Amino acid sequence: MIKMDVLAPGILLWLFAVILSGPAEVQAYPQFQEFVEKRSKQPVNCAMCHANGNGPDGQKPGQTGGLNEEETKRLEQARTAFEKGVEVESPILNQFGNEIVRSLGRKKVIALIREPEKLYDELPAGSDIDGDGVPDRDEYLDGTDPTNKFHASPLKLLFINLNQFKMHVALAALAIFSINLGLGHLIKGISLLSRKRA
Amino acid sequence: MDDIKQTERAGSGNGSLTGKAMNFMLERFPVEKMNFHYMFEQKEVPVHSMSWGYYTGGLTFFFFVIQVITGLFLIFYYQPTVSDAYLSVEFINNHVSGGSLIRNMHAWSSSAMIFFAMLHLLVTFAMKSFVKPRELTWIAGVILLFITFTFGFTGYLLPWNQIAVNATKVGLQSIEDVGQYLPGALSTLPQVLRETFQGEASVGQSTLGRFYALHVVILPLALSALLGLHLFQVQLHGMSRGVDEKPKRSEKFFTAFFFKDLEVWALAFFILFCLALCIPFESFLPFPLLAPYDPLGATPAGIKPEWYFFFVYYPLELLPFWVILLASLAAVLVLFLTPWIFRGTSRKTLRFIAVLAAAYLFVMTVFGQAIYEALKS
Repeated sequence: MIKMDVLAPGILLWLFAVILSGPAEVQAYPQFQEFVEKRSKQPVNCAMCHANGNGPDGQKPGQTGGLNEEETKRLEQARTAFEKGVEVESPILNQFGNEIVRSLGRKKVIALIREPEKLYDELPAGSDIDGDGVPDRDEYLDGTDPTNKFHASPLKLLFINLNQFKMHVALAALAIFSINLGLGHLIKGISLLSRKRA
Repeated sequence: MDDIKQTERAGSGNGSLTGKAMNFMLERFPVEKMNFHYMFEQKEVPVHSMSWGYYTGGLTFFFFVIQVITGLFLIFYYQPTVSDAYLSVEFINNHVSGGSLIRNMHAWSSSAMIFFAMLHLLVTFAMKSFVKPRELTWIAGVILLFITFTFGFTGYLLPWNQIAVNATKVGLQSIEDVGQYLPGALSTLPQVLRETFQGEASVGQSTLGRFYALHVVILPLALSALLGLHLFQVQLHGMSRGVDEKPKRSEKFFTAFFFKDLEVWALAFFILFCLALCIPFESFLPFPLLAPYDPLGATPAGIKPEWYFFFVYYPLELLPFWVILLASLAAVLVLFLTPWIFRGTSRKTLRFIAVLAAAYLFVMTVFGQAIYEALKS
């Protein structure tokens, strides 16, 4: 006979796993999208965290109905990543979505649904998936694409890139000045020659 | 100076229609002035408070040259097919050496070209540079401005992303909508025009092919021909005086003004280079609009034309279509007939009108969205 005090924690754990892993249809969390849209005043869609811009439900690539066997396996593994630090490669999430699950764990992500603004504080400050110089958590607040190095707040990109390419800018300034100086002298020379001939 | 001589010569023609037409053409194309000495060596540029206006045309031309050069580089890699257009742009951005810089320079300079073309129109209007014998210069300039806008419209589709295709659909639909306000046989003309541009039932491969042909062959040829006429007229008739009082001094076009023009172009190129290097043009758009176009997906929110169409886009969103249609028709007519409508108007009044027009363009471009939201809520 199975004792109830042995069984109860097992049942609880199973229930917890079922609740957090969600039903067969994957649960997207639009609360984060709504918060970002409101704050940044920019239209944002599921592509911020998901592989497919229309969300995880459907038959297209990056959606639950369009996964092959290997992808389904990866999805199942990602669903069990309740604690932070677990490397996940969910096929329905993009790099940023997977990074959120890896650095926070699903339990924390679900807990943040009611306070989506706190995701900024929870995300690692140094994480910059696309390498554009703007941290992922800033891109989250700005409503820009954390996985596209050509997309971030234009003003932030200006200062970051100016600093990064200061040598290019200096060399360009020198080259343009030299060409202009040379052309100017050439024109003056031609003008002087034509006057002398006249 | 030269204006007065031209005006005096106008009286010497006979009264017949052919004679008048002949005189009109002779005054606009004086054969005796068509030589290097008159068009370059002798040409002078007045120096006064509005002299900065003389650089706006040169800057528009400079950005057109940048467009041609960067556009030629992009042609090497761009694929004008619905299956590959988006991927080829991604390839240019991510895998071609200097590809994103060239593409950004193309995008930034297109906006700069349109900005300076509009500024040039306003400044030449304020300086009354359209009066006899410069009517043809003005008309060629107005057509050049419309061609420049068409460049922007056709180029917008080429990346084949969400905003490109959806904005083009809205633009083409607006052309067809004009038909319902036209009488009789004319009412079908906009539909024919739309079908010609679109090439098939919906925006697809034929549309992309036609827009590409327009953008890289037909429009550049048309623009080059008209630009040639425009610049030839500018050199032939010299710079207009621009102000009421007689300028205290003037400078030689070649070399003094030309050298300054080069300096301004150098500065413009440096600013363009820095902007293209540091701010990807796409960063101004919400990222869902930059996703590849999905014909089966829902239209994403925030579809808008490029900023230089805001002056007509926001009024279109707020007012009945026929109001905008009438206003646009009137504006186009006034633009073409400006040399005759405003020939007797003082420069002070013209300056006031130009400032009003500039204020309208600025407010609609910068605050259009806020005005739209305030009026709709």
